[in-house]
Amino acid sequence: MAEKVSSGSRGKPIRCRAAVCRKPGEPLVIEEIVVAPPMPHEVRIRIIYTSLCHSDIVFWKMKDFPGIFPIILGHEAIGVVESVGEDVNEVSEGDTVIPTFMAECGECRDCKSTKSNLCSSSELPFKVSPFMPRYGTSRFTDLNGETLYHFLCVSSFSEYTVIDIAHVTKIDSGIPLSKAAGLLGCGVSTGVGAAWRTAKVEPGSTVAIFGLGSIGLAVAEGARLCGATRIIGVDVNQDKFEVGKKFGLTDFVNAANSENKSASEVIIEMTDGGADYCFECVGMASVVQEAYACCRKGWGKTIVLGVDKPGSQVSIPSASILCTGKSLMGVLFGGLKPKSDIPILLNRYINKELQLDEFITHEVTFEDINKAFDLLIEGKCLRCVICMNDQ
Amino acid sequence: MAAMDEKLSSGNRGNPIRCRAAVSRKPGEPLVIEEIIVAPPMPHEVRVRIVYTSLCHSDITFWKMKDFPAVFPRILGHEAIGVVESVGEEVTEVAEGDTVIPTLISECGECVDCRSTKSNLCSKLPFKQISPFMPRHETSRFTDLNGEVIYHFLSVSSFSEYTVVDIAHLTKIDSSIPIFKAAGLLGCGVSTGVGAAWRTANVEPGSTVAIFGLGSIGLAVAEGARLCGATRIIGVDVNQDKFEIGKKFGVTDFINPANCENKSVTELMIEMTKGGADYCFECVGNSSLVQQAYACCRKGWGKAIVLGVDQPGSQLTLPSYDVLHKGKTLMGSFFGGLKPKSDIPVLLNRYINKELQLDEFVTHEMTFEDINKAFDLLIEGKCLRCVICMNTVG
Repeated sequence: MAEKVSSGSRGKPIRCRAAVCRKPGEPLVIEEIVVAPPMPHEVRIRIIYTSLCHSDIVFWKMKDFPGIFPIILGHEAIGVVESVGEDVNEVSEGDTVIPTFMAECGECRDCKSTKSNLCSSSELPFKVSPFMPRYGTSRFTDLNGETLYHFLCVSSFSEYTVIDIAHVTKIDSGIPLSKAAGLLGCGVSTGVGAAWRTAKVEPGSTVAIFGLGSIGLAVAEGARLCGATRIIGVDVNQDKFEVGKKFGLTDFVNAANSENKSASEVIIEMTDGGADYCFECVGMASVVQEAYACCRKGWGKTIVLGVDKPGSQVSIPSASILCTGKSLMGVLFGGLKPKSDIPILLNRYINKELQLDEFITHEVTFEDINKAFDLLIEGKCLRCVICMNDQ
Repeated sequence: MAAMDEKLSSGNRGNPIRCRAAVSRKPGEPLVIEEIIVAPPMPHEVRVRIVYTSLCHSDITFWKMKDFPAVFPRILGHEAIGVVESVGEEVTEVAEGDTVIPTLISECGECVDCRSTKSNLCSKLPFKQISPFMPRHETSRFTDLNGEVIYHFLSVSSFSEYTVVDIAHLTKIDSSIPIFKAAGLLGCGVSTGVGAAWRTANVEPGSTVAIFGLGSIGLAVAEGARLCGATRIIGVDVNQDKFEIGKKFGVTDFINPANCENKSVTELMIEMTKGGADYCFECVGNSSLVQQAYACCRKGWGKAIVLGVDQPGSQLTLPSYDVLHKGKTLMGSFFGGLKPKSDIPVLLNRYINKELQLDEFVTHEMTFEDINKAFDLLIEGKCLRCVICMNTVG
């Protein structure tokens, strides 16, 4: 079924397998679908490796809007260009590419600024759209001709997908395609970028990370690379301390254990006033508030990475905002511009500075993709890589 | 008139001084000019003869506050300029006769924060907004003629002919600079506003800036943004007159929320700036305005900066989605992020070089006896800074 399709398929629909999510919370179904050829400014890609991220799970189980079905999930992957649509010069057939939910058109005011990574090319910089960003249509149909929806402009749980060129990062052909590299499409870039690019953690800093999933551990990795001397992890799962040490964690606070004291009180005590940088990697307003409470007055920064439920509100005492000198900011994709920054991180990986393989705790075949969901939901994995092609 | 306050020679060194003060005895009631006793300075303290002082909105907030944390009787006032009458032990930084500006914010010069360029929040003598006492010894230097304690305010208490200030709260002014009425404004309002634009936000040339609330603080932000080279300074105020006044300080555009028919202020701001301002400053002290300021700053790099003092216990609420997805920063600016002892002299020099406007903030002057008129004018929104001239003699 999944034999390598030659560029003889250029301009034609491709029939291939995809893991389709037809009902919220139910196992994905591996079925044959039809992938239309790329329109102008689009690229059709053969996915080699993809991995499961918590945001996939959030939308997988979402019963109401913006949850939408049937949908092809997945947004963290690495693949090879099968064919390109008109007006695409940046990549060609055979190139290794990493698709991203973050866009970079290169032309808008944000893309031209060093201060922002929120490309204005789509109507809203980060719209949860079920379609291709430029045309508002889908490239996927099932064998009954029914439309299948896209996810975050990527939809990597398919042997072939179509991606807008603004969402494609070309990887230097001299770099062998690896499982680890795909992680730079979302999780690791988000975490490392948050420490490196957004917070700009300086050597000697003290950093606190709330939530030690892959994102939080990637923040630790980024802080470690930036020379932070103290990296305090906060999680309810004690095992995360040992796991975290690999990524630079020096201290651990178990949020479930802190008897009379909150995690933030413990952190204020152990840092003698608060951490220089606090990262929220869970997606809960109460945790954001705790993180804000334990960053140091004077210069402390609280950076929000976690995705909360629609409608959530963060509440902070007004006096605290005025009189403490603290900052609060949120960031997508670690503040990174994918096309410029993913190659930089990849190089650091190749130079053995940045760890990527250590985030991969499991591998499954495409057929076993639902096992990845089980593992992540049960908190038993960091990154589970799905190997698309048995060749 | 001058009987009580003839220039007291340093013959009073070490002795209590009897002088006049404007005492706030009951919430919301006119201050009473009465004789009080000012004790000599303790170690690390300085007794200062106030020459000019001015009224700030924060004085009004605590003047009318009925319950805790307000206390009475109290000597308000925290924006002033004066002359050192005598110093306590261990004080070497200033000497009798020096011109000084007292400040609500401290700078000990030794703690981690004072030594860092990234913070102006001294840890050794941390800001305690509600403290009724001297910061180091936690006692009062004021008593009335019945011997009853009168409370301090913000470590300054400038509505008195003489006050006692901790050396960490005192900035020495170069002796070659003559004392002038507007100089005292650097003790709070103008420094806060100018600093917020200059130091906290770091406004770059070409920026677009929005300012919510055009009182003296907001106008000082405009002045600071102007000096930083902002090309667009949008003022937001319910008082239409503030546009004309604001132009003096660099305001280029104006939105009156009272006049916005079909669109909200936020919609209008985003339209006129094609996406939002680079920096939004909230200078009122109202959490719904802080929310507006946050909504009005541009995605990607916009910063919302809070300067206004809200009611104790207020909370700011923001949508989690916006916090994560818009790339904006929320921060507060206390005393404009400035370190008083280093930065007040810098601003003073910019005034002397005719770059920074200060006199333009002074819209009224009155004698000490008429101090309550200043309260009326500020409450009615009819002034920017009212300078109270303490001493008719030299």
